[in-house]
Amino acid sequence: MARVNAIPGLSALIACVALLLIWDGLSRAFAVSGLPPPWGPLRELPNLLTEPETLVNILASLRRMAIGFVVAIAFAVPIGLMMGRSRAVAAFFNPLFMVIYPVPKAALMPLIMLWIGIGDMAKVLVIFLGVSLPVVYHSFQGARSVEEKMLWSAAAMGLSASQRLRRIVLPAALPEIMVGCRTGVVLALITMVTSEMIARQSGVGNIFFTALDMGQYDTVYAMIIIIGALGFFCDVGFEAVRRVLVAWAEPSHQIAVGSA
Amino acid sequence: MNGGTVLPLVGRPDRIQRVATNLIEIAAVSKVYDTSQRGRHVALSEISFDVAEGQFVSILGPSGCGKSTLLYIVGGFVDATSGSVRVSGAPVTGPGPDRGPVFQEFALFPWKTVLGNVMYGPLQQGLSRTQAATRARELLGLVHLTKYESFYPKELSGGMKQRVALARTLAYQPKILLMDEPFGALDALTRKHLQNELLEIWERDRKTVMFVTHSVEEAVFLSDRIFVMTNSPGRIRKVFDVALPRPRVRAELLVDRRYQEMVVAIEKLMDEQEPELS
Ligand SMILES: Nc1ncnc2c1ncn2[C@@H]1O[C@H](COP(=O)(O)OP(=O)(O)OP(=O)(O)O)[C@@H](O)[C@H]1O
Ligand SMILES: [Mg+2]
Repeated sequence: MARVNAIPGLSALIACVALLLIWDGLSRAFAVSGLPPPWGPLRELPNLLTEPETLVNILASLRRMAIGFVVAIAFAVPIGLMMGRSRAVAAFFNPLFMVIYPVPKAALMPLIMLWIGIGDMAKVLVIFLGVSLPVVYHSFQGARSVEEKMLWSAAAMGLSASQRLRRIVLPAALPEIMVGCRTGVVLALITMVTSEMIARQSGVGNIFFTALDMGQYDTVYAMIIIIGALGFFCDVGFEAVRRVLVAWAEPSHQIAVGSA
Repeated sequence: MNGGTVLPLVGRPDRIQRVATNLIEIAAVSKVYDTSQRGRHVALSEISFDVAEGQFVSILGPSGCGKSTLLYIVGGFVDATSGSVRVSGAPVTGPGPDRGPVFQEFALFPWKTVLGNVMYGPLQQGLSRTQAATRARELLGLVHLTKYESFYPKELSGGMKQRVALARTLAYQPKILLMDEPFGALDALTRKHLQNELLEIWERDRKTVMFVTHSVEEAVFLSDRIFVMTNSPGRIRKVFDVALPRPRVRAELLVDRRYQEMVVAIEKLMDEQEPELS
């Protein structure tokens, strides 16, 4: 293990190559047009990625995803924190979220389109809904488990209830909030693609499903690779941000040694 | 918080006298916990005592007799069911920077460094960053943690965490320290070190201290007065005045007859009430 980890990214590279080989093997075994070997889609990738139209679509998708994600965080974190610190607030919102929770958010797409049309807003709203719930849930859990004595210490210093929520509960719950946000990133990507399947005008989902309808399987699989890569890079980027924000909470191994 | 009987100050010279000397006045404080599963539990019953300014008082008693509850009520973190607590003559209605708590669980802010933790109170009081840092460094020197100011709480040992917690509380200069078994989670040696440090610090500015502990030796070593409590319902059983000279040195106290006799007397009293527990 130690030697594999010595070169950064090596194990990931090995996993990718293994995946391609399995894919190749499966496509030979089944020999259907819906499962071409990976080499066609791989050759298609540079073509797709140099086409301005694809890039415009990817950017449009990312933009909606980012807006939905950020708005969801701005909404879900305060609500979750207040739910975690006040029984009344929790009692008010809990039933609401319990009802919304099991509904697949993309399934609401047709309805939402009836309300506010098929534009960007509808898709952003669906992404917002998808991201909000895990973030609310984890913010709630994080806020609920904040050590009471910490809040008392802050109260003795003169922090008001709202100051304690922002300056004690928020940072104390941040590691848990980040767990919710990470789930939120993945859900944002999923709802983004499904929303573009239902309302097709632009986006990676649009290219994907249009290619699927026309039987252009190389493009279809190239898009799957692109969507997968988007997810991967979003996650890596998010993890980098998370590490910086909650380094104080990570179990430490080397930090304390030698600096005294 | 339910106000107790408030006597008018006018025409009561004895009362005015008391306001001037007693920093903390605990009058007939009771606390009943109403739990859905176990019903009503009387944790404290009619506790009354005063603490003079500059006094170091300890509260001893069996587990569950309400020592923490009493301290939390004085701190304003928990409301009394009846009775009143007055600090500097004014009724306690909530937490305030005049009463600084130190908990057994440290309760440091883990996202702040040692320095950040100690600066928190002074910054909240409106000091500039430089002023707050200066004051915080002074206190870190007092608790021998100067070298650790950039450490995060998770990187510290239990004894170091409690030193930071003490420094953090001292930093906003409370009149009263409320310490709930602050050394309870520490090993015997660290505990002795911290007792010595606490006494040294206390002897500088003679803050008023309410100190909850399970250790009779610790209480006698540190205090001017000791309140021994009984179990369910929590009541004051006996008050001991510790007339040992200060500054106190552990090695001298250990061979001091008065110290030994007081420890034995309190231990005996506490053994007697053991059967009440079950
Ligand atoms: N939040 C609460 N709800 C219900 N009962 C409580 C609560 N807090 C304390 N009690 C009860 O009140 C009694 C006194 O508790 P308290 O923590 O004050 O005791 P203590 O003397 O500090 O004990 P220890 O020495 O073990 O710390 C106990 O019987 C406890 O079960
Ligand atoms: Mg206790």
